[in-house]
Amino acid sequence: MIKSLLCVLLLAVCAFGQAPVVTLEHRNFPGLHEADSAYSALFVASDGKVYAGLDFSGGAAHLVVYDPVKDTVRDLGDMIYATGENGSGSAPQSKIHVKFAEGRDGKIYFATHYAIDFDRARLVGPRSYTGGHWLAYDPRTDAISDLGIGRARNGLITMTMAKPQQRLFSISDPHGHLLAFDIATRQTRDYGRVNNWDSLCRSLAADDEGNVYGTFGEGRIFKYDVKDDRLKDLSLQIPHRPKGINSHGRDYLKSESGWRVVIWDEIDKKIYGIEESSCYLFSFDPKRGAEGEVSLLAQMALDKYVGQRTVPFATLALALGTNRKLYYAAVPEEFDYSGSKSVAASHLLVYDLARKQKTDLGEMRLADGRRVLGCNAAHAAPDGTIYFLGAVEVRPEAGKPLEIAGKVADIPYRLALLIYKPSLSEGKTK
Amino acid sequence: MKHSEVAEAKRRGFSVRLLAACVLLLCAGAASGQRHLGYDDLTTRQVRLDLRDLGYPPIDVIPSDCSAIHALALAPSGKIYGATSGRQSHLFVFSPRRNYVQPLGRIPNTVAVHHALAVDADGMVYLGSTRPVDNNGEGYAGYEGGRLYRYDPTGEDNRPIQIERDCVLEDLGVMVRGEGIYAMLLDAPRRKIYGLTYPNGRFFVYDLATKTVAIKGAVAESFRPGENDEREKSIARALVADDEGNIYGSGEDGRLFVYEAATQRLIKLATALPAERARLPFVVIDSFAKDAQGNIYGGTSDGYLFRWLLKERRVINLGKAIRQYRVRGLVFGANGKLYGVGGEPGVMAHLFSYDPRTSEFDLLGFIDVSRRPYYSWQAYQADAMIAGDDGTIYIGQSERRSKLFVFYPW
Repeated sequence: MIKSLLCVLLLAVCAFGQAPVVTLEHRNFPGLHEADSAYSALFVASDGKVYAGLDFSGGAAHLVVYDPVKDTVRDLGDMIYATGENGSGSAPQSKIHVKFAEGRDGKIYFATHYAIDFDRARLVGPRSYTGGHWLAYDPRTDAISDLGIGRARNGLITMTMAKPQQRLFSISDPHGHLLAFDIATRQTRDYGRVNNWDSLCRSLAADDEGNVYGTFGEGRIFKYDVKDDRLKDLSLQIPHRPKGINSHGRDYLKSESGWRVVIWDEIDKKIYGIEESSCYLFSFDPKRGAEGEVSLLAQMALDKYVGQRTVPFATLALALGTNRKLYYAAVPEEFDYSGSKSVAASHLLVYDLARKQKTDLGEMRLADGRRVLGCNAAHAAPDGTIYFLGAVEVRPEAGKPLEIAGKVADIPYRLALLIYKPSLSEGKTK
Repeated sequence: MKHSEVAEAKRRGFSVRLLAACVLLLCAGAASGQRHLGYDDLTTRQVRLDLRDLGYPPIDVIPSDCSAIHALALAPSGKIYGATSGRQSHLFVFSPRRNYVQPLGRIPNTVAVHHALAVDADGMVYLGSTRPVDNNGEGYAGYEGGRLYRYDPTGEDNRPIQIERDCVLEDLGVMVRGEGIYAMLLDAPRRKIYGLTYPNGRFFVYDLATKTVAIKGAVAESFRPGENDEREKSIARALVADDEGNIYGSGEDGRLFVYEAATQRLIKLATALPAERARLPFVVIDSFAKDAQGNIYGGTSDGYLFRWLLKERRVINLGKAIRQYRVRGLVFGANGKLYGVGGEPGVMAHLFSYDPRTSEFDLLGFIDVSRRPYYSWQAYQADAMIAGDDGTIYIGQSERRSKLFVFYPW
């Protein structure tokens, strides 16, 4: 009996030791190896070019573009200069923490954010932050335009575009106000505070009519109703884990009961999203019934965490492929770049909307075997390619300087653009 | 979302968990450490600060966009009454015995109640309505004027909470045509209600016995200095009475005024509020508090605390507790200390105290409550403060989705 149990355990260990691996191409960001984080800021424009926002705590965020045809990466600008704040002495524009949006005018819209607020001590006073700027990059002129500050002393932590109205919606941080920027008039309107520190929504979604959705409180959904031009608190809740102690040493300010990342699906006319604390994948059909309908689809966590309370905080790396599959970069350990206490390779999880099936494709690794340590942005290209943005392991190479942003736990890392071609490699293991 | 769906997700993971559990047996020693309690540290001692939802959450609460609190008042019964502003004003009551906020219903045709709430000795509640204030005087074209209402609390303990229905109020009429009620004071012994209006700073007296109103003049005639599009006058946001029934406040040029009870005249005084010389035209009184001996303290829009020496008609500048503008609330605690809340729009409200015995300020931090399920709920804007009959201090959050904070200053 004891021998049999030991055999089972040995087999289990062997099986776990041969975890499947999914290999991704990657591109480094030359000259920007100090960029230490990236959140949400990855976008494939209609021409196939890939825009990314790289963050640098204490310095300037950079906008970069990857051209998949020429296979080149180019730095488009330093956000301190782009916002005209060089030499101002204010806290730096250190992040692009929003999802980009492409306007009807062909411009790429985005916004800036601060990196550190020193426990809100610098909301006013010396070195205070001026506020996150709305910005537009024009690919025709190769220039970035500064469209002004959204809300004074606040960063802009998330953004979506209401396409019919060509308005950008954002939530300010730390005040949690919903802001709308009208591209035509260049006016910002403040709809007031939607979030407190019990739950700060990091992802907004806009439907095809221009209604905008986010979460507040215990997984509740709010709606900006375009017809009435006002905010409404819906009675719907997303599936979420009640707040409590987490064994991973999670950042206190992680709100734990909102949605982490959402995508508007033009085909199903639904929002797909992942809840932040237990990684529940859900759909939200805003047009069904009086307020909409929320449905649980799966738990996008590694199998070992399913049904457990110790699921690592969800990442922002969710994309909907042209093959009607959702791609999600899950982390086996609590991950927040250099703030992480432990390290493990990310897993690529896939949810097939047609078959209603979740698959773990395995550990995300580069061609040379290095691990992808964590991603916080993803987007699908029109050709089916899935792009991720995140931290990859860096190994010392003889005769070359070690170009790193910092360490995830004790592992050196830098940011990279990760490229996954579903048609070629999906489901294959090594 | 259905709970059965969550259960299904958990069930699907069950077989995997069995295998994982076996592996965990082998590596239990490497389990990650627990989340340390330091993550819960905040800037204020948490046992002294708490909050109450404006109703019975999650659904039966005064709605978002209707919950900003700009007016609180203490009743002789020990209950705290509050009025909200936003898309629609609501009246509520907090009973310390019950420990819940009871919404009392909508205030008809009202979107704002600003520093205009008082409770009479017989328990009757008076409130004054306005359009939104401190907005360059916008929205007053065609406005009939702020109304004075009376609420009778008789039987309220036995009423269900009311959110979607109007509160039953007695309409005592428009106080000043075209003007909102900006600050209000009840002189219960003399049966008078005094008020200042927005945007033009009219001073009115309402006689509770005769139910008549008289306008006694304006405390500000001219716009204060500003750009061409600025149209604000300097009008006090609070009034205070001395023992003789004289009423004090501030008006144009940062000067105090007195409404003399004996002569029924409004007189501009030479006494100026504490301010840098160039800022004097911009400064108004934000709040007043009286100690047990009748000494009057005030806070200004520039963030200074002062003492008003009645007999000498002199102001003593006590200094600034926080670097921000605005002292939005001032009350005396049972321990003899003066407690205040301050902070300008768009920043973060701070609590502070001042001890008149030692002339010491104490900075108490943000208005920040950390307990489940809120961890944490911060009031970035707070515009009302009142002391309860047991020394508990109540602070009204004044944002889109607001709560009533409870502070225990001992």
